[in-house]
Amino acid sequence: MMNPVSSISESRQARARHLVMVSLCVLAWWAAPAMAEVCATDARDRELCLGQPAKRIAALSPGATELAWAAGAGEKVVAVVDYSDYPPAARQVPKVGSHTRLDMERLLELEPDLVIAWVTGNPEEQVEMLEELGLPVFSIEPRNFEAVSTTIEQLATLADTETEGFAEAQRFRRGIDELRTEYAEAEPVPVFYQVWDQPLMTVNDEHLIGEMIQLCGGDNVFGDLDRLVPRISPEAVISADPEAILAGGMGEENRHWLTRWKDFPDMTATARDNLFFIPPSLVQRPTPRMLEGTRLFCEKLEVARGRR
Amino acid sequence: MVVTKRPTMQTLSTRQLVIDIPHRPDGYPLDLTIEPGQIWGVLGPNGAGKTTLLHTLAGLRAPRAGSLCLDNQPTGTLKRRAFSQQVGLVFQDHQDGFPATVLETALIGRHPWLSPWQMESADDVAMAERALEALDVLHLKDRLVSTLSGGERQRVAIATLMTQAPHTWLLDEPTNHLDLHHQVAVMKLLTERAKAGNAIFMCLHDLNLAARWCDNILLMYPDGEACWGRAERMLVPSALERLYNQDLTTVEVDGAPFFVPKRG
Amino acid sequence: MTRPIGVPLVILALASLLAIGLSVAIGSVALTLTDLGAVLFGDAPALHRTLVLELRLPRTLAAFATGGLLAVAGALMQVLLRNPLADPYVLGLSGGAAVGALLAMLAGLGGLLVSGSAFAGALLSTLMVFGLAHGTGSWTPSRLLLTGVVVAAGWGAVITLMLSISPARELPGMLYWLMGDVSYARTPWPGLVLLTLICLVVIPLGRSLNVLARGPLQAAALGISVRPMEWLIYLLASLLTATAVTMAGSIGFVGLVVPHMLRLVLGNDQRLILPACAFAGGTLLVLADTLARVVIAPEQLPVGVITALLGVPTFLYLLYRSR
Repeated sequence: MMNPVSSISESRQARARHLVMVSLCVLAWWAAPAMAEVCATDARDRELCLGQPAKRIAALSPGATELAWAAGAGEKVVAVVDYSDYPPAARQVPKVGSHTRLDMERLLELEPDLVIAWVTGNPEEQVEMLEELGLPVFSIEPRNFEAVSTTIEQLATLADTETEGFAEAQRFRRGIDELRTEYAEAEPVPVFYQVWDQPLMTVNDEHLIGEMIQLCGGDNVFGDLDRLVPRISPEAVISADPEAILAGGMGEENRHWLTRWKDFPDMTATARDNLFFIPPSLVQRPTPRMLEGTRLFCEKLEVARGRR
Repeated sequence: MVVTKRPTMQTLSTRQLVIDIPHRPDGYPLDLTIEPGQIWGVLGPNGAGKTTLLHTLAGLRAPRAGSLCLDNQPTGTLKRRAFSQQVGLVFQDHQDGFPATVLETALIGRHPWLSPWQMESADDVAMAERALEALDVLHLKDRLVSTLSGGERQRVAIATLMTQAPHTWLLDEPTNHLDLHHQVAVMKLLTERAKAGNAIFMCLHDLNLAARWCDNILLMYPDGEACWGRAERMLVPSALERLYNQDLTTVEVDGAPFFVPKRG
Repeated sequence: MTRPIGVPLVILALASLLAIGLSVAIGSVALTLTDLGAVLFGDAPALHRTLVLELRLPRTLAAFATGGLLAVAGALMQVLLRNPLADPYVLGLSGGAAVGALLAMLAGLGGLLVSGSAFAGALLSTLMVFGLAHGTGSWTPSRLLLTGVVVAAGWGAVITLMLSISPARELPGMLYWLMGDVSYARTPWPGLVLLTLICLVVIPLGRSLNVLARGPLQAAALGISVRPMEWLIYLLASLLTATAVTMAGSIGFVGLVVPHMLRLVLGNDQRLILPACAFAGGTLLVLADTLARVVIAPEQLPVGVITALLGVPTFLYLLYRSR
C-alpha cells in the first residue's frame, strides 16, 4: 500500500537530495575557496566543524527538534524521534525510533549531515556508533536560559541560518531579561512545582524549571534537595506548606493532578485557591516556548501575591 | 578383545583401615585382602557401617585411619581414573540425573577406559550390550532408565559395573528389589565372574544368600567390632545371633546351613 | 551417546547461517537481494554497505554470540545442578553480572574492568545460590529455584537502586541491564571467540559431563575428580554469562529454553548438546533480535522482551511437568 503523504515527501526528499548534489558540485567547482567552514562547540566541549553548513539534520529528541526549528533550520530537519510534536510541521518528518532506542538503519538511510544528540537522553553507545560511522554529531544539553539561546545560535551557525536563528535567540534572551527585571524586586512566594503525580516528583533549584520559579520571585520549597528531579512524599509537601502549587498534567488540559491538594484545606495554597495549572509543554522542554511558560509562571505567582 | 587393553589385575587390600562414621568411636581396624576368585559377603545390622565401608573401599570417602592398597601400593598416589579401572561399585540407591536410556547408562561404564578425545567404539557398545544381555535387560536398551521398575534398574546398575569391568567388584545390596529368579541369576553371574578371576565384595541383607554363595564373610557389629574369615568358620549361630541381636534356628539344606529367626 | 553427532550439528550450523543471512537481509530499510549481492561483491552504494556491514552484521553476530553463550551456560548449569530448570537468568547469575558491570561503570571504569567485574558478580551470585540452596541437605529443585529466584530478585532491586541514585546522564545506557538489548553491543568479537573456545573445550570434557550428570557419587566411582570438575563447570558458566551480560545486558530464558528443546530432540549426550546449544542459542537470539528490530519499526524493542515472551510459558510448562 502506498501512503500518498509519504510518497510525496519521499519524492520531495529525492528532489532535495538531487538539488543538494547538484549544488554541491556547483559549489565545489565554482565557489570552492568561498565555501565557509562552520564550527561550534557542543555540550560535551567538543568542537564540531562542518566543511559546509548542514542541509540534512537529524534531531534525536523532541527538544532538539524544537531548537532546530527555532534556529530557522526546520526545513532542513529530515529525521525526528517519537513525541516530536512541535512545531506541528515536525510531525510530518520521518521518525527514527525513540530517543532511548534509535532505529539506526532508518537514520542512516536518511543520510543526515548533522545529528543533534541529547547528552542525557540518547544512549551513549548508539551516539558513539554514529560518530564512528562518520556522522557529525552535535550534542546539546541546555540547562539554563542562556544555554537555550546559545544552543539556538550554535545550531543556526551550523545550518547557516544565522539571521533567523540569532534573531530568535535574541528574542528569547530579551524576553527573559525583561521578566527578570520586572520581577527582580517581587515579594518571594513559597512555591511547590509538581512534575509528576504518581510518584510525586518536583525539581530543585538547579533545574531549568527551578530557574523559572526563581526568576518570577518564587521560592522553590524543595530547591535545596540534591537530586535534579527528586521524589517526595505528600507529607513533605504539606509540612513545607507552599503558598502556591503549580502543576503540569498528563496532557495539556488535565487539571486532575491539582485536585488531590483540595483534600488539605489547611494548606495555605489550598486555602487561598493558589492551585495553578501550567501546560507542561511550555515548561518541560528547554526551548524558546519556555518564555511563554515563564511568563505564565510569573503571572500565576503575581495572582498569588494578590491573594495575600 | 577388550581384555587385551586391560592392565594387570591388582588386588585390593586394606591396612589397619578404620572407617569414618561421624559420632562413633574408632572401630576395629580392618586388614582385608580381597583376592581374585573370592566372593565376600558383608553382614551386619542396620547402621553398622556396611555402606560406609564400601564407599571407603571405592575411594569415595577418606578413612579415619589406615590405608587402601592395590597390590600393596597405597592408592593415594593413583589417579582416580586408573583406580576406577581396578575397582568399581554398584550403589544401593540409584539417583536420577538427566534422562538417559538403558544402553547409554551401561555405556557410562566405559568412561575410565577411554581418553578424553575418544568416542565409544563399536567394541564398547558390544561390551555394554553383552552386559545387558547377561543381566536380562537387553530388550530394554532403548527405554529411559526413569521408566524402569526397581528391579530392572538394579540389573542395569550391575550391567553398568560389568561394562566398567574392574578387577574388584564392590556391590551394595545387589539383590535389592530383585525377584527370586533374578536374585539367583545375579548370584550365579557373580560366581562366574569370580571363577574368571574377579574379586567380589558385597553387602547383603540376606544371611542365607551369603551362606549359599559367599566363600568369605565379614561381620560388622554396631559398636565397630568386626571379624572376618572363611564362610564356614564365620557363619556360626552364636556369632550371628550376637550380630543381629536375634535368636536363630539352624537347619541344613543341600549341605549348607540355613538360618531362620526363632519365634518370640 | 550412541547417536551420530555430526548430522545434527551440520543441520544446526546451516540453520545458524540461514538465520544470520536472514537477519542481515531484513531491516527497517528494505534492501533487495540484488542490493545485498552488490554489497557482498563490491559495487554497492556506500549507504548499503554501511547498513549491511557496519550495522546489521556486527549486531547480528553480537546477537549470535550472546545467544550461544547463554545457551551453553544454561546447559552447563543444568549438568552441574542435575536440574533441567537451571538457567543463568533464573538463578540470578545474569543479575549478579549486571550489578558487577554497573558498579564498575559507576566507578568510572571501562573495558576489561567492566567485564571482570561482571564475572565477579556472576561468580558471587552462583556461590550464593549454591551455598544457600545446598545448606545441609542436597539440592532439591524447589529449594534451588526458590533460592535462585530470591537472589535474582535481590539483584533486580540493587540494579533499580543504582539506577535511581545514579546521575541522569548514565540512565539511558544503564536501563538495558534490566531487560537485555543487543542494540548497544559494540563488538561481537570477544563473545564469538569465547564461544568457539568453549565448543573446543567441551569436546574432551563432554563425556565427563555425561558421567557427572549421573550424580557426583557415580561420577566419582567412574574415575572423575568431582570437586575440580564442578568448579571448572561453575567457572565456565559464570564466565560465559558474564561475557554475554557485558555484551547485551541480562537476557532471560535462552539458557533454559534452548537446552531443553535440544535435549528433547537429541538426547542427553553433552558432547552433542553443548555445541548444539551454541548454534541453536545463537540462532534463536538472532531471530528474536530480527523480530525486535522490525516488528514495529521504526520503534525498536529490546530483544529480552521477545525471549521472555517465549521463555516464560516454556518455563512454566516445564515446572508444571516436573512435579
